[in-house]
Amino acid sequence: MKKMQRKLVRDLGASKELFIAVTIIIFLAVAFFGAMYMAYLNLGDSYNYSYEQLRFADFTVKVSQDASEATAQLEDIEGIDAVTGRMNADFALTLPGTDAKKVLARVISLPASEPERTSVVNDVLVEDGEYLSNVTNSLLVEKNFAEYHDLEPGQIARLAVAGEEINFEIAGIAASPEYIFPAKSRQEFMPSSEVWGVVFVPEQLVGSVFRKPVNEFCFLIEDGADRDSIISQVEEILNPYQIVDIVPQEEQPSYSGLDMDLEQFATLAELFPLLFIIVGAMATYILLTRIVYNQRTQIGLMLAVGYSQRQIMMHYLGFALAIGIIGSILGTLAGYFLSEGITGFYANMINLPFTVTEPQWLAMEEGIILGLLPCVIAGLIPAWGASRILPAEAMRTPAPTVGRKLLLERMFPFLNRLSPLWKIPLRNIFRNRRRSLYTGIGVTFGVSLILISAAMIDSMKDMMDFQFDDIQRYDARIDFDGPQKASLVDNIEGWNEVESVEPFVEVTVRMEHKGETYTTLVIALPQDAELRGLYSPSRDRISVSPEGIMLSDALKDTLHISKDDILTVAFGKEEAQLEVTGFTKEPMGSFGFISLEQAQAIAGSKDIVTGVFLEVPEASGATIRGKAYETGGIASVELASETQDSIDEMMQSGMAMLWIMLLFGATLALAIVFTTVTVNILERRREIATMRTLGESKNRIAAMITIENMILGVAGLIPGIILGYILALYFFSLFQGDMFSMDLVILPTTYVLTVGIIIMIMLVSQVPGIRNINRLNLAQVTKEQAT
Amino acid sequence: MIKTDRLLKIEDVSRIYQMGQVEVKALTNVSLEIMRGEFIVILGPSGSGKTTLLNLIGGMDSPTSGKLISDGIDITALDEKGLTRYRRDHIGFVFQFFNLIPSLTARENIEFAAELVKEPREALETLEVVGLRDRADHYPSELSGGEQQRVAIARAIVKDPPLLLCDEPTGDLDFDTGKHILSAMRRINQERQKTVLLVTHNTAIGGIADRVVRMRSGEIVELKENSSPIDPQELRW
Repeated sequence: MKKMQRKLVRDLGASKELFIAVTIIIFLAVAFFGAMYMAYLNLGDSYNYSYEQLRFADFTVKVSQDASEATAQLEDIEGIDAVTGRMNADFALTLPGTDAKKVLARVISLPASEPERTSVVNDVLVEDGEYLSNVTNSLLVEKNFAEYHDLEPGQIARLAVAGEEINFEIAGIAASPEYIFPAKSRQEFMPSSEVWGVVFVPEQLVGSVFRKPVNEFCFLIEDGADRDSIISQVEEILNPYQIVDIVPQEEQPSYSGLDMDLEQFATLAELFPLLFIIVGAMATYILLTRIVYNQRTQIGLMLAVGYSQRQIMMHYLGFALAIGIIGSILGTLAGYFLSEGITGFYANMINLPFTVTEPQWLAMEEGIILGLLPCVIAGLIPAWGASRILPAEAMRTPAPTVGRKLLLERMFPFLNRLSPLWKIPLRNIFRNRRRSLYTGIGVTFGVSLILISAAMIDSMKDMMDFQFDDIQRYDARIDFDGPQKASLVDNIEGWNEVESVEPFVEVTVRMEHKGETYTTLVIALPQDAELRGLYSPSRDRISVSPEGIMLSDALKDTLHISKDDILTVAFGKEEAQLEVTGFTKEPMGSFGFISLEQAQAIAGSKDIVTGVFLEVPEASGATIRGKAYETGGIASVELASETQDSIDEMMQSGMAMLWIMLLFGATLALAIVFTTVTVNILERRREIATMRTLGESKNRIAAMITIENMILGVAGLIPGIILGYILALYFFSLFQGDMFSMDLVILPTTYVLTVGIIIMIMLVSQVPGIRNINRLNLAQVTKEQAT
Repeated sequence: MIKTDRLLKIEDVSRIYQMGQVEVKALTNVSLEIMRGEFIVILGPSGSGKTTLLNLIGGMDSPTSGKLISDGIDITALDEKGLTRYRRDHIGFVFQFFNLIPSLTARENIEFAAELVKEPREALETLEVVGLRDRADHYPSELSGGEQQRVAIARAIVKDPPLLLCDEPTGDLDFDTGKHILSAMRRINQERQKTVLLVTHNTAIGGIADRVVRMRSGEIVELKENSSPIDPQELRW
């Protein structure tokens, strides 16, 4: 090893705390980028592989009449690779077990024999048990649903078909590409498995047992085929059968939910490391500037003995390269292992049929460049400066920097009367403005990162509270097995445990406005509804309007619609023109709301209801459920507490991620503040030693340093809060849509906590520097070259 | 013996530079010729321009006006690369504060300079010359001031340059150690025929020189030949 390299290694060792701090910033940036980006790529690959293996549909069309005879015609359309016609209908399902739980099941038909299965669109992967049998009444249970209820092959479940309960043996547990994320619809994106699930039955039972039509077609198109043109042709063929909905792949609820999640990974992979890298580059610059300044005489010596400017520049660039290389390589390795962990954890959590994890070489290269390039750029300036020092000047004691009163002191004369305890820190801040600026920026970014993560946590909690405390005010919800007469409501009202009952009608509709269509649920509520809250976009409590329709706020954009516009709403074969009377705030899903009276008028019957909301004592959930199961016409009973528990569980991984982000933010703040504060202190060793020899106490000097850091901390806090807020707004804008609408909420306590964390970090990070000056050898340090 | 082989010619050299907000006339129209193998001591009080002159000769600084020809090379006409090559091949520096690299051992400090030239002397051999072979693996912080300066001398001669420039080499040393350092330099000058230019404010040291240059306020005020230089060990101050 050449002596220049040996010097580099030993110099690195001599300032190891600072190098480690700066390297940690780069390491965190690259590790975070690698973990999130590689997880993003792995999950994307896994999804695509799963979709490919299970022949996930490019688009799906649902009709309301039996369209089985159209299958051959559909197959003949040019560009179509495969078509599968199937039944997709809801039935009440009684689960195995002593409590014989009732849920609403989405029953989907699949070919039972192997040759037909090979070409089926939206196939399933049997993970436990056997595939469907064409001999017995068998069914496959979707994996998420099976896991929730501990269902196993061999058990018997009962499907209620036309008032009769029919036994089905669970042949197997299967993963479906349509229900990787088990969303019921775009509106009911997170249904509780407590009350809803998916099962698959042999297609030959569609007519004979279920007496239902083939009402859904799933299409796979050939590579390069024009999907829009194919959809137009399909629409033409299926129009006579009453098209209910056309769902392109990207709008399929599970697909778009996973895609949104994936985008979140990508955004996190871009946004967070970017902040880290900017801070890392600044920290590298600060550190290297300090080293160059400290080693002025060494640079002079190197020039004197004949080292060239290029050699000197490369030597000092070596410090930045060392930080970049070590941080990048370790970060990439950590990122790789983290990405494997995240992919595995996530794939397992969402029951992904196939998981593909492979080294993402390109992402690793990008990670290394991401870590290395900013360090090199940041290092180039001081390294170039080092090489340009005039040798004779390098050997001379530098002239003292120009001292003058601060503008602040000229503007506010009372500052002149401040004691040195305050005056010295104040002037120090302006002595090296660039470094003070970087310290401030470091604090700013640290605050931003902490605030974004904390804002996400607050907003998620707010969303859940709004959904489960304000909107879903009921304790239990009973869905009927199709429209029922109001007498069923009276029957339920008569149960001892029931404190109040509110009927509702919920029906799937297709909305149309100015050529834009949207399939969703219309919920009809009594005007004095209490148990299902309605809120204006500004969250004021409102009631459903007696006439016309109210829409969820997100549909304004989807349907390009405003208040007072006329909306076409298709209820099956019937169509109604309804005036938009207002908009509502819905965090989960997008719906239409009309009054119950109006719904019944449209249906032509004052006596129909599809379900009830109940107010019941907390402990009586099981009793209510038991009574409901014994009552005819009831499909499922949802207990609000169970739903909230199950959604809380689903949110847990997201929350864990946010806490990790919070930790990253705090670590970043610690690393940058530690670097700048330590450099600031070390730079003034001689000055501080002189003050000590004059009689200043250690405590008073520590107080001066603390005052200086606190001023910089406070200066960085305010822009940090503003930046954090802006970034959080941007982050939130990515996740607003018809499926989710989350308001940015930052609680006052969060601001206080963020400020507290930053102040704590600043206090902790100055401890090593203060300890260092407390151990100064006064005699030796006062003889050192002035800096 | 009068030396006639000219190594260095300084013609009408001036140097003005900025120090903070002050303009300093460090040298004014200085001219001097130095012969190969000479031992020259430049004397003068602080601020007289002696270090500036040394820096100009060493290619560490460029004159505001005038010409410097060293070993046949007009160093005032050299660009940065040329000056680097000149310092690498022609000059050995010894500084008042030794300027050893604290993170390298004595031997490594010498090798640090040796690595720059094609045919350097052995690092251990140069340490032998200054009597420090047994301290080769010690770091500067483990050496006394005199030992550090001897390492600095070894570092200066390892490249085998024709000209050694010494800036107050005894300024930070005690009397006895200083004399030992001067002896080492005189020995190198005599045994290895190295030209030595030694800058000091200590007038007593002029006694060991072949010629003494006195400077004041950036000008040469006296140039005196010393027909019988004394042994450094005989010095008193």
